[in-house]
Amino acid sequence: MFGIWVGKWVLWILNILGKRATSLPGKVALRISPRLLEKLGAKLERCIVVTGTNGKTTTARLLAAAMAEEDAIVHNREGANLPQGLATALLKHCTWTGRLRCRTALFEIDEATLPLVAHALPIKVVVVTNVFRDQLDRYGELDTTLEKLLDGLRRTDAVAVLNADDPLARHIGLAYGKQVVYFGMSKDQLQHEVRDQMRDGAFCLECGHELVYHGFFYGQLGDYHCPQCGMFRPHPDFVGHPHPQGLTVSEGSLPEVTIALAARGLFNRYNALAALAAARVVGLDIASVQAGFRRYEPPLGRMQAFETSPPTVLNLIKNPTGCDSVLQTIRADGDTKVVCIAINDNAADGKDVSWLWDADFELLTEDPKTVRYVTTGLRAEDMALRLKYAGCPTDAVVSIPDLATALDEALLQADACEAKTVYVLSTYTALYPIADRLQRRAHSHEPSPAYRPSVS
Amino acid sequence: MNRPLRIAHLYPDLLNLYADKGNILTLQQRMAWRGYAVEIIRVQHTDDAKPGEYDLVLLGGGSDREQELVGRTLRRNVAEWKAAVEDGLPLLAVCGGYQLLGEYYQLPNGTKIPGLELLDLRTEAGSPRLIGNIAIQSEVGIILGFENHGGRTRHRHAPLGTVISGHGNNGEDGQEGVRYKNVIGTYIHGPLLPKNPALADMILQLAMDYAGISGTLRPLDDRMEQAARQAFMERRMELAPAVLQHK
Ligand SMILES: [Zn+2]
Repeated sequence: MFGIWVGKWVLWILNILGKRATSLPGKVALRISPRLLEKLGAKLERCIVVTGTNGKTTTARLLAAAMAEEDAIVHNREGANLPQGLATALLKHCTWTGRLRCRTALFEIDEATLPLVAHALPIKVVVVTNVFRDQLDRYGELDTTLEKLLDGLRRTDAVAVLNADDPLARHIGLAYGKQVVYFGMSKDQLQHEVRDQMRDGAFCLECGHELVYHGFFYGQLGDYHCPQCGMFRPHPDFVGHPHPQGLTVSEGSLPEVTIALAARGLFNRYNALAALAAARVVGLDIASVQAGFRRYEPPLGRMQAFETSPPTVLNLIKNPTGCDSVLQTIRADGDTKVVCIAINDNAADGKDVSWLWDADFELLTEDPKTVRYVTTGLRAEDMALRLKYAGCPTDAVVSIPDLATALDEALLQADACEAKTVYVLSTYTALYPIADRLQRRAHSHEPSPAYRPSVS
Repeated sequence: MNRPLRIAHLYPDLLNLYADKGNILTLQQRMAWRGYAVEIIRVQHTDDAKPGEYDLVLLGGGSDREQELVGRTLRRNVAEWKAAVEDGLPLLAVCGGYQLLGEYYQLPNGTKIPGLELLDLRTEAGSPRLIGNIAIQSEVGIILGFENHGGRTRHRHAPLGTVISGHGNNGEDGQEGVRYKNVIGTYIHGPLLPKNPALADMILQLAMDYAGISGTLRPLDDRMEQAARQAFMERRMELAPAVLQHK
């Protein structure tokens, strides 16, 4: 009880100070009452969990928007997905006497955190978006991540909502042994020509043999099977047909449903498909899902546009596969552009920046329309070096460790070479300061001509 | 015109955990910028390796599961590997690849995964993992990077360098990596070569000499490399400027 009090006090003070309160109140409360999650978790009727490497925050927000159509829910919407973040979200929805105002919680949970909190929450559904390589220094290796996910899942009786196109997720489904629902993209979307990108699922986890692919969607996602033991991509219960305006989904023999999505990129369509599948498993009707998705607000740094001059588009990058999908989207933009890349190596970013060399930055350096680069953050110079070895002329790159100065320089350079867009890529801890700066730059200027009302 | 330098990248289909791509790119580009031709031979684990046909070999690291498969694959022609190494074949082995050069890697449960036995070197799993930024003093100056290994390695050869900051081979004896003939083994990735151009050039020169390709590598414009080194040492290693001057 005392822990709840103190946590609420911290929350209250942070609110007064106008600070973001996503982890600290929970951290303090957990230090005083280590069993706080168990206590508050016991008051929930059900808990839905979204985990996986990429797309957790977006998927959880889409699902939250759909679920909020029916009832208020507890949700760690800022993506603080460690125990202190979950505790903070619960504290926000409980009274000073410890009563919880909602019966349902929707938590985005870090893969390594799931086994630590699974016993404390009435978890009914677990969505695994995908399993890619992420932050080796935090988890050791990919195998450990898989083990943690499985371990966490086994501590529940949840329905697992898994990505059929991901052989690593398929392994989880087979090893879990309880109820599993799969989502996946339509086979007519398969790419048969592939770049030399990282593929984490190249080997069958059932028998160790090399997997055979009929084609790829992106990363290791594709239509795979194992010629030795017969492991194969299951036919998805929810099949997505992506198109420029969004996604059409078929669910068994039910009529097809079309979802409008503003965000670009195949990875965003995967997130929407995962959220829709989970919403249906939770029991929502399609009308609520559609209405919810329409009200969805994208989290910070997912193809987020700022009205600077020229306009800026901000993207979070944190591992090779996620980064590659962003790079592909930038390359697909046929106009002249400047790219600013912010790399920090604080604990929340991952202290090991080796992954920059696995990401396919050649996608940009081979693109004649990407004309200039500004690298920034604590590892600005490492990023510049990556671009140099990717074949970028050294005079097209400038390193400016200070984030604000770097953004100003990127906008200046964009002006000078008449670029239509500045794409900003950023690791986690640089994201908020960058968004702040861009917001300020957007306000400090006259609105660009495109947004001015006609005076003719 | 010289024949191309033949660089074998061993088992990119199994071992790609620690950004091998960065090491390959560095070797390839630094030769290309000097006008030398390079041939990268991607040896898949289903192919038969031909140690006698390479001028330089790269062996990276993978997860335990892949590591065992690589060990088995390599031991198919252990005699040829041994002969080539004794003959002076330059071989760069990182992380798991480094461990495989020795007699065995002992898992926490006591099981020993046999290695290639090219070196008098043994590794035992330990806890906790040794993780973090690292700087060592070597014959080519300070080598910088990141280490992340559970294994504790001990050997009877010269080390690649002595630890200035970080853990090294086992976190105890202040040594990092191994140097035997033209074999270099190390736990340092990040990746290893882009930010350590002097080491990259040393390895390339060894490979050229071994291949019988005449010529001395001319210096390149390494200002970006130096800037990355400087920033890393100041911001991440907190090394005093005095240490930096001392090469
Ligand atoms: Zn199999």
